[in-house]
Amino acid sequence: MTDRTLDILIDEIVLGLADDADVARVEEMASRDPAVAKKLVRAQARFAPLDDTADEIALPDGFWSRVEQGLDAGGIETGPTQTDVVDLSAARRALTRWRGAALGSIAAAILLAMTLGWSVMTPVEPSVIAVLLNDDGEAIALVEGRPDNTTLVTLLEQAQVSSERVMQVWTKPDDDGPPISLGLLASGRSETLTIQGLPAPSPQQLYEITVEPAGGSPTNLPTGPILGKGLAKEPVI
Amino acid sequence: MRRVENLPQSRNAVYARSQDLTDIATDFSPCAGAAPGWNRKSQADHTVIDYAMLLKSCSEGDRAALRTLMETEGGRMFGVARRMLRRVDLAEDAVQEALVLIWRRAHQYDPERGSAKGWVYTILRNRCLTLLRREDREVATEPEAFDREADGAVLDQAIDRLGTTSDLRRCLEGLDEQTRRAILSSYVLGHSHGEIAGRMEAPLGSVKSWVRRGLTKLRECLS
Repeated sequence: MTDRTLDILIDEIVLGLADDADVARVEEMASRDPAVAKKLVRAQARFAPLDDTADEIALPDGFWSRVEQGLDAGGIETGPTQTDVVDLSAARRALTRWRGAALGSIAAAILLAMTLGWSVMTPVEPSVIAVLLNDDGEAIALVEGRPDNTTLVTLLEQAQVSSERVMQVWTKPDDDGPPISLGLLASGRSETLTIQGLPAPSPQQLYEITVEPAGGSPTNLPTGPILGKGLAKEPVI
Repeated sequence: MRRVENLPQSRNAVYARSQDLTDIATDFSPCAGAAPGWNRKSQADHTVIDYAMLLKSCSEGDRAALRTLMETEGGRMFGVARRMLRRVDLAEDAVQEALVLIWRRAHQYDPERGSAKGWVYTILRNRCLTLLRREDREVATEPEAFDREADGAVLDQAIDRLGTTSDLRRCLEGLDEQTRRAILSSYVLGHSHGEIAGRMEAPLGSVKSWVRRGLTKLRECLS
């Protein structure tokens, strides 16, 4: 692509005239090439004064609560983002009765599948399973580790996590090594996490979930209180 | 830049609630000392609102920052959305969804790459365009329903409001009428090449080349 074509394409993206494929292509270029990113920002800045020419219209009363529902609900985008923040107290408020019932049945189904030896629920067989217990010995989450280091985390209990915090999942592939982050439970719900570059999980491997500042532990090691931990076992299949 | 002190009374309630959350966090977390500083800072010294700072606080999970953004910029965002989407219900959806996306993506905002306000409006405009295109697919618009006069008035108003000293205005006015109209109706009204061609009763290919030539001229004029 010549510079001239790129410049025009970038302007068309800012105007909203480019098609999705071009937008994706240029965004990908911008993520690799700061010069392209700069062009994009400059083009946006050229037209930005037009935003201020719109009328200022008061948002309807109670709009903030709609926004908050959106924050709690997830959706719009598929797939978790890194700094989604957990606010389970609000999520619980927002839960309608049927959703509560549905979650309850999901949990029951999971437990049932567990007793059936997992053959029902898991198309790819996990190499290890850990039940994470809290200090009182209650199961708070179920972790299934697959050979390719996909980790399915099923929460079995609503965690008390404030809006400024997020749950982070850790494991210790090496008994004597540091804990490694498997990812954040950004939505505050059960999630599948993937990580590259770890050996396949093995029995007796430690898994734990801690509460960390939004965005994850700043030190990349667990800093917050432990919600639950457990050692992995190999399922009998 | 706006100041915090003229915010409505309800702000205090928000601060109070956030403070409670921080207190709860203190009870069980060893790192509560590092809790977001936005609330306390803005209470203490009435800091001038800085969009980049608000986004940073959002990325740290401070909902009060998002609310402040909504209260300071929401009215203009609503106006931009309504201008593009025309329907109030869709415009409300766009602003709500944009605010949620801003919250989720706040960590991706890089101050080195342009203004925070520009970033906010880019997200809003993209959301509007998505809703607009979706709506177009679902609801077939009769050609008679095009209100050329109303569109024209909106575009003229946009130019007028740019202010007499605006470089963008000077450069837009340097373009011929059709090109200016095509470029403005894409940015301001969210029209696609096809919609512009339909409204102008011009061939699609011509519209595309007017726009391209116009964009090159604009870029040269503004650099």
